[in-house]
Amino acid sequence: MMKDHIVSAYDAQLELVSSNLIKMGGLVENQLKNSLQALSNKDTSFAEQIIFDDHKINALEKEIDALTYKIIAMRQPLANDLRVVLSALSIANDLERMGDHATNIAKRVANVKINLPDAPTIEIVKMGEDVQFMIKQVLDSFVKKSDKLAIKAWDSDVNIDDSYLNIYRELLETMAGNPETITGCSHLLSIAKNIERIGDYVQNIAEDIHFIVTGQALERKSEKRINWEDLNQ
Amino acid sequence: MNKVKISAKNIDVFYGDKQALFDVSMDMYEKEVTALIGPSGCGKSTFLRCINRMNDVIDICSVKGNVSIDGHDIYDKSIRVESLRENVGMVFQKPNPFPKSIYENIAYGPRIHGMANSKTDIDEIVENSLQKAALFDEVKDRLHQPGTGLSGGQQQRLCIARAISVNPEIILMDEPCSALDPIATAKIEELMNELKKEFTIIIVTHSMQQAARVSTKTGFFHLGKLIEVDSTETIFSNPGNQKTQDYITGRFG
Repeated sequence: MMKDHIVSAYDAQLELVSSNLIKMGGLVENQLKNSLQALSNKDTSFAEQIIFDDHKINALEKEIDALTYKIIAMRQPLANDLRVVLSALSIANDLERMGDHATNIAKRVANVKINLPDAPTIEIVKMGEDVQFMIKQVLDSFVKKSDKLAIKAWDSDVNIDDSYLNIYRELLETMAGNPETITGCSHLLSIAKNIERIGDYVQNIAEDIHFIVTGQALERKSEKRINWEDLNQ
Repeated sequence: MNKVKISAKNIDVFYGDKQALFDVSMDMYEKEVTALIGPSGCGKSTFLRCINRMNDVIDICSVKGNVSIDGHDIYDKSIRVESLRENVGMVFQKPNPFPKSIYENIAYGPRIHGMANSKTDIDEIVENSLQKAALFDEVKDRLHQPGTGLSGGQQQRLCIARAISVNPEIILMDEPCSALDPIATAKIEELMNELKKEFTIIIVTHSMQQAARVSTKTGFFHLGKLIEVDSTETIFSNPGNQKTQDYITGRFG
């Protein structure tokens, strides 16, 4: 358990950074969950609501930016405090991007009036739920300051990459076999890509949390990477 | 890596019955600035004072262990304290120029150490020392006015000039900027950066930012023990010891 600072106002500022990050992470997790639900139900009005909600995430990022800037100027944080403050900037930036990707999913649901093929949609939603779990895991690792949990979240991304590859392949096959699905399938491709990118950002955040906890950069390689050659087989 | 200039081994210091330092061992390197930090009463100044035997003047103080400079034990009976202090200069918290002219403040040391005979030699040492202390340009037209008439920051640089006038190899600084404003402090820090090309500097400071700005290595003292010594960058970014981290981040209870 970390001791409190002698100056309690400093603790209050650092706690505000942390609580804002957790709040922002919760919003992003929810934004993805809602987007997946809108996609499943092809619910365009819900999608509109999700697109509108994105501004809350952006506003929190600005708040965290301003607060970290203030802490650096006024408190000159060192060691673990410095790592929290610097990483908060980077995590907030990543969360904001994740929010954009989640919102992009909703934008496609809202704007696409054509039919999206059902089978790949179900798989994409499943992949989205796995990413949603990764977000939860990485946020937990931040709350608990656990580098082990962070590494777990980081490692999960390989499964997302696998799912993405499978979905990509399946969509190509569907399009090749049935050209009138091409428009719908290309939208699904983009949605799958959005979800896959969110997984990558979770990895960035996991690296930041590892750095906060240990003071060391996370040196880790994925067991496998997407091999686009596979698609030609 | 520079060579070890000062090596302290298993230093215990007692003031009467009270032990002030416990088994402190630390190497300090040539032409580097080493900073000693820690809360009040942690023993950092006591340790600094072991390096030029300033503790000798306190009757109830006894020092055990070994301090060597260039491999020579400075507590050896054959060592003359005067020649040790010629080699190891010291600058204190409050600027303490002699109540004499700027010129005489510098000239006094070289004269009593017999380092110069003619007035020309002394003139040269005075100018040289003031140049090295980055003070010459500010005082060249009033060398014969009292040193105490200078500003606090100038007085402290005068004391540094006085310390280097006898050609020491080591300069000890005991909170040299604590009585100075930020601009005067910055000038001393800039000066230290120049001086380290020629001298080995050990500085005790209460300002962690100052230790971070000026030093290559930092030692953290707590309750008479040296808790951790490492590169300054490591101490302030990712210290190995929890106590060090608590202290530098302002969590000390």
